[in-house]
Amino acid sequence: MKRPVRTVLALVLTGFLGLGPAQALDLGSALKSILKEKIKPKDSQQTLDTPPGTQQQVQPAAEKPRDQLLKSLLAGSTSQADEVRIGQRIAGNLLGAVPLVRDDGLQRYVNRVGLWVALQGERPDLPWRFGVIDSEDINAFAAPGGYIFITKGLYRRLNNEAELAGVLAHEVGHVLRRHHLKLLQQSQAIAAVGSLLGSKFKSEDQLVQNIIGNGAEVVARGLDKDAEYEADRIGVVLTARAGYDAYALPAVLADIGHVAQGDKRVSLLFKTHPHPEERLGRLAEAVDSHLDDVPAGQSVAGRFYRLR
Amino acid sequence: MTRMLHLLCLGLLTLPVWAGPGTLIKDEDLKSSPSVAAARVAALAKGSNVEILARQGGWTQIRAGGHTGWVRILSVRANTSTGSAADIAALASRRDSRVVAVAGVRGLNEEELKMARFDAQELQSMERYRATAADATGFARAAGLSQRRVPYLPAPAPAGSDPNAGPNAWGGVQ
Ligand SMILES: [Zn+2]
Repeated sequence: MKRPVRTVLALVLTGFLGLGPAQALDLGSALKSILKEKIKPKDSQQTLDTPPGTQQQVQPAAEKPRDQLLKSLLAGSTSQADEVRIGQRIAGNLLGAVPLVRDDGLQRYVNRVGLWVALQGERPDLPWRFGVIDSEDINAFAAPGGYIFITKGLYRRLNNEAELAGVLAHEVGHVLRRHHLKLLQQSQAIAAVGSLLGSKFKSEDQLVQNIIGNGAEVVARGLDKDAEYEADRIGVVLTARAGYDAYALPAVLADIGHVAQGDKRVSLLFKTHPHPEERLGRLAEAVDSHLDDVPAGQSVAGRFYRLR
Repeated sequence: MTRMLHLLCLGLLTLPVWAGPGTLIKDEDLKSSPSVAAARVAALAKGSNVEILARQGGWTQIRAGGHTGWVRILSVRANTSTGSAADIAALASRRDSRVVAVAGVRGLNEEELKMARFDAQELQSMERYRATAADATGFARAAGLSQRRVPYLPAPAPAGSDPNAGPNAWGGVQ
């Protein structure tokens, strides 16, 4: 997926800017200079369609002058504040499609377990938030900046707290390694070239909208398979660091592998992730002897919060 | 009943959480006890049929080719399609109730996510449930959870030919 796009970009730049192949390889700086030309701060007061009723504490990504955001994204140097704003926007959009399960006890429980897991990683200062969303789909999502969601459909299949920790830890892994942010940076570069050609993106507004995509569509975009395997490895490690049974995430994967391929509740998950069997095989290789000296962790089944 | 037949036909695999038949998904040394340091009882090939007996931490006790011993838990998949009648029935009824409960559910789809509109109020209520580090830590302690030092797992060397695979594809493994 990445490769062909890069090749196309390189060809486009070579053709349109008269760059030699060597210069075209340095896409980042080439696009940066193009953007400096293209995007003047003339209408920087203009923001994305800020939704009505947005309150003080919740400021969507849009309130940042978009050019600045665009440039930092393109340079691959998005600040933590910008990352959180992007995630906030995506999270707000996702919640627009699927609201939280109306159960205060459940939501507080998931936040305590999730934060404990996230604290085992290298970005403990992110404003981590966790939520169970009201969908029978079997899935979990992460948005940049520390927004993590698990569906009711997946939550219901879990047998204990360690399994919940394992699922959340996989998603935390995506955030720790900025997987979705990198994905946005890539598509943003594509958008820049689109506007340069003046074909697809008629206005700069459209260009900016294209950073996040439409609604919460970014969570349905598949990541590189290697990013998923990496998130699985991180998931197992964070679960173990937190004191839980390190094999809880693999147990959930094995369970999800039971769901028939044609079941609509897993179609999005199976579209965006390698099949659980494949993931389990990769995990077996990666874990090998590395966890031999880690004492057995806990399942914490007793206090596991059951869905009403 | 149809569901049960379905399960039987698919030859489903799971982690060995209950006793029953399974399959080895990689070559393994069968150990005399759940430890790398333990003596090798036998060498087993990937694809071997095994009988799963027990679990202890990251190890599972199996019987294979007349030998009994231990292998790493991720190396074995329980084969539920040929599990005992009780296992299959339990599994089938468990799934059945869920299937009934969600009959007609079509799942999240991309169109729906694309059309999603920003919901500030819902985001605000998510904010309300946030835990503090002290809260989360105290909650973990209350369950007897204690932190362990576990280094990140390196990506295994790619068996295939994908040059993108490996730790550097996504910014390295720490
Ligand atoms: Zn994932």
